Amino acid sequence: MTQADVIQAIQPLFRDVLDQPDLLLTADSNASNVDDWDSLAHINIVMAIERHYKVKFALGELQGLKNVGDMAELIIRKTAKS
Amino acid sequence: MNELRWSDLSVGMSAHFDAAITEEMLDTFAALSGDVNPLHMDAAFAKAGGFRDRVAFGMLSSAFYSTLVGVHLPGKWALLHGVDVEFKAPVYAGDRLRVSGEITFLNEAYRRIELKARMTNHSGQTVSKATIQVGLRES
Repeated sequence: MTQADVIQAIQPLFRDVLDQPDLLLTADSNASNVDDWDSLAHINIVMAIERHYKVKFALGELQGLKNVGDMAELIIRKTAKS
Repeated sequence: MNELRWSDLSVGMSAHFDAAITEEMLDTFAALSGDVNPLHMDAAFAKAGGFRDRVAFGMLSSAFYSTLVGVHLPGKWALLHGVDVEFKAPVYAGDRLRVSGEITFLNEAYRRIELKARMTNHSGQTVSKATIQVGLRES
């Protein structure tokens, strides 16, 4: 599973949570450059990803993430362990 | 009032309580909200539309979802993040509602609880269903 694979897989989750059916997610996407990605939306996104991949994130794992690319790399690491 | 902490919670945990809807509650809600739509205020108008009586505001009965999380599950430390509610059947003054909810997901990182909740009337008919997102405060 590559970073691009993960970004493609989580794009529908972002579209659903942010209510933006045309949102195009890239590795550089983050809360500063995606509309409506606020703190509550962020929690909803994380929960949607946890559900989708059946993983649980620790707060420490999430705090260092700077963008969707980092999130994708975290997902790859978490799913490789499970 | 319950005072459940994060360590007390688990998926599948549930709570319920009963609540009655009264004419006075409809009138008070109309005064508070300014929603004076005749469906809620005028029995003749509601009956002409096929309803048994004036219909209770959906947002009035939905207020019990606030009670569910703020008083029962988890109670004192709750911070309501969102409620996604679907209305399934009308509620009338005189109805007695059973409000119930169950934890369906726990997000450890942000201490967020998801509840699936529903209200049924005294005939056992589901009048609304909701998905509720609740944060758990520490202090």
